Amino acid sequence: MGVGGTTLQTLKLASLPSFSSSRFVFKPLPKTLTFSAPSRHGRTQRPPFPLLARALSAAPAVQTAPDETAVKPQWKAAIDFKWIRENKEAVALNIEKRNSNANLETVLQLYDKMTHLQKEVERLRGERNVVANKMKGKLEPAERQRLIEEGKNLKEGLVTLEEDLLKLTDELQQEAQCIPNMTHPDVPIGGEESSVIRKMVGSPCKFRFPVKDHLQLGKELDLLDFDAAAEVSGSKFYYLKNEAVMLEMGLINWTLSEVMKKGFTPLTTPEIVRSSVVEKCGFQPRGANTQVYSIEGSDQCLIGTAEIPVGGIHMDSIVAESLLPLKYVAFSHCFRTEAGAAGTATRGLYRVHQFSKVEMFVLCQPEESEFYHEELIKIEEDLFSSLGLHYKTLDMASGDLGAPAYRKFDVEAWMPGLERFGEISSASNCTDYQSRRLGIRYRPSEPSSTNSKKGKGSLPPPKFVHTLNATACAIPRMIVCLLENYQQEDGSVIIPEPLRPFMGGLQIIAPKSR
Amino acid sequence: MKGKLEPAERQRLIEEGKNLKEGLVTLEEDLLKLTDELQQEAQCIPNMTHPDVPIGGEESSVIRKMVGSPCKFRFPVKDHLQLGKELDLLDFDAAAEVSGSKFYYLKNEAVMLEMGLINWTLSEVMKKGFTPLTTPEIVRSSVVEKCGFQPRGANTQVYSIEGSDQCLIGTAEIPVGGIHMDSIVAESLLPLKYVAFSHCFRTEAGAAGTATRGLYRVHQFSKVEMFVLCQPEESEFYHEELIKIEEDLFSSLGLHYKTLDMASGDLGAPAYRKFDVEAWMPGLERFGEISSASNCTDYQSRRLGIRYRPSEPSSTNSKKGKGSLPPPKFVHTLNATACAIPRMIVCLLENYQQEDGSVIIPEPLRPFMGGLQIIAPKSR
Repeated sequence: MGVGGTTLQTLKLASLPSFSSSRFVFKPLPKTLTFSAPSRHGRTQRPPFPLLARALSAAPAVQTAPDETAVKPQWKAAIDFKWIRENKEAVALNIEKRNSNANLETVLQLYDKMTHLQKEVERLRGERNVVANKMKGKLEPAERQRLIEEGKNLKEGLVTLEEDLLKLTDELQQEAQCIPNMTHPDVPIGGEESSVIRKMVGSPCKFRFPVKDHLQLGKELDLLDFDAAAEVSGSKFYYLKNEAVMLEMGLINWTLSEVMKKGFTPLTTPEIVRSSVVEKCGFQPRGANTQVYSIEGSDQCLIGTAEIPVGGIHMDSIVAESLLPLKYVAFSHCFRTEAGAAGTATRGLYRVHQFSKVEMFVLCQPEESEFYHEELIKIEEDLFSSLGLHYKTLDMASGDLGAPAYRKFDVEAWMPGLERFGEISSASNCTDYQSRRLGIRYRPSEPSSTNSKKGKGSLPPPKFVHTLNATACAIPRMIVCLLENYQQEDGSVIIPEPLRPFMGGLQIIAPKSR
Repeated sequence: MKGKLEPAERQRLIEEGKNLKEGLVTLEEDLLKLTDELQQEAQCIPNMTHPDVPIGGEESSVIRKMVGSPCKFRFPVKDHLQLGKELDLLDFDAAAEVSGSKFYYLKNEAVMLEMGLINWTLSEVMKKGFTPLTTPEIVRSSVVEKCGFQPRGANTQVYSIEGSDQCLIGTAEIPVGGIHMDSIVAESLLPLKYVAFSHCFRTEAGAAGTATRGLYRVHQFSKVEMFVLCQPEESEFYHEELIKIEEDLFSSLGLHYKTLDMASGDLGAPAYRKFDVEAWMPGLERFGEISSASNCTDYQSRRLGIRYRPSEPSSTNSKKGKGSLPPPKFVHTLNATACAIPRMIVCLLENYQQEDGSVIIPEPLRPFMGGLQIIAPKSR
């Protein structure tokens, strides 16, 4: 388990001639990027966290007994049951195309039961109020006694009904939360093989020598260590070393810089979150084969993507319309159990438990989400084209969308060492699926003067925002792409031009003399 | 019993053999239990202490070096929380909802500041010959223990993963220490010098009060850590080298700080000697710890099983020959904080605040922040 050549290596890195004394490794973000210049793009670049209303106060992270499974939902998704009932054929068809196990009939039946029960409860409450009012007046003792009895019966009946209503509401929530988002009409129907190529850029580079995969390159160039990590942490963990560290930092810095230029607010986020937030984003922290790591002795989990903590920022609030769209670019580490993932598609950096990722997240008005979906995929494609990758953008088929996604574009890049395309990013339009669970709404601005009901207290009702998320850079898979595509016959790897200023001018990762 | 024997003799020997075997099994079980008990007790014994270490509690720590002086402000000084709010750099409120207290989002220029600090620090330390690393942040709990921490003690600082024997690291010292676990390193490779960037997670159980406001004490933070493995006779030299690197970094940033030789009652169990650096934080109106450099001698290496093979002895050794390699010896390990980002952000915001509410970026960081010179209040 030695690290042969390390000492020589570090000396060599330090003496590379291109490094000036004050700007060794990480070239500055280009001066075009600025926060202080007045050329800032208007309101969208610097929204404060706009909270007109926060429903819940912060409760401390809760300790749960280890064997307590979350059967009872602790939060409620604002599902539009009336809409589902009115569109049940479309919803049923959608459930089928998505291969979802949601049970629409059960949901509708429970909803009917619940509405009846609610009416019953209201009726009883009304009767109890009538009795209470009668008791205020002057009454014969016999009459008073009779009313007292009646009041008591009503109260007991009410308590029972209210308990039933609570149980029913929980049951309804549990069933209804399984219903996947609706699907964009243009989404191809079918399984993975039905996904349609939207765009193809470049072509596989031709090598005049035997191609190495990233693991071999990583070993020969002393960039990766999976063996030591297997001892320290387990399989699918790794150390990055030497120029690979510079590559990771360069990729993060360059990506943040490029996306900030497009008006996105940069963020770093917590990587430990309450499990309820994970659920509200549409993931299942405690399902079998869950992707989510849980923290022992608490209701917290590790995030698998910054989509979760960023989605949570505006939880349970009403955002002013003027602040939309809110566009965030977040850097975080991500943790995934990868339970159930096995086989050749898991070698090396392709599938790991921990990785760095730069994620884009947008909150916008419903009518604009398709526009921003196109904007996000364009940003991704520009990034990947800049790095000279050969890739294809796919419109994912209905059977391959996650429950939250209305439409999803995946980008797969050519990985010559793996001899196939591998997914490097995903851009989803989740419409109001997440916002109905996270409770994120906006107040539309004053309607036009055609609204005759204007006046104090007649603000338009709040509506749910639409949310979108897209991977700007998933570092390990990007490293796979760059190492494998830019390898040279002599075993070195060329650094794509755009990254060099963010890596102290480094142009090439060369084999070390031993 | 291999020879030729009378049947009676054979029978007697068989009996004797059986008795011996049973006795052995019992003794071996006892030996196992005793070894475990011995280990448990012995592992509690702290490392020896450098003779120059001041004896006593926290208040007995001695100032080795004092650099700079508290900057004088001609206007009311704000703390980093207020500056963070006014400049839209920090959000603790949203994080309290999403994650719990002592979590936060960094926003806008604070993100650039974090990235700038990490990049600059890595760059500076790499120039000194350290090999850069990023590390796993989930590790087996046994590795945590071998480094001298107690993942499952009461008031533990360590987060554990449900359903596994894994934990989150509180410092990159742990995964870096683990790299050479159970191995013998060639002497020619020493010293091994690593600079590692990782996120760190700490429960901060039992920490309460004013010393916990804002970024000063949080559950998750970025840190650049230096780790050295060397020959025993060289560890004091590298301890001095590490503290010098830290002091140069903090001086470059223009901080006012003091370096303390920590007193015997304030060393962690692994440390033979520990130097802490405390920087002046005008918003908190006191010094706050921003780094720690420990010489753990062979405390960690004996637990992690890291040894080296001394090179061939000089020709005065007459026993030279095949198979008479010198026996391996335990390395010494040292660790030192190059940059703990949140406390550095506290220092920079509070020390470099201007009367108009803006914050100046120290010169060395500017090239790593796109040339940004100042964090200015935003017009709304």
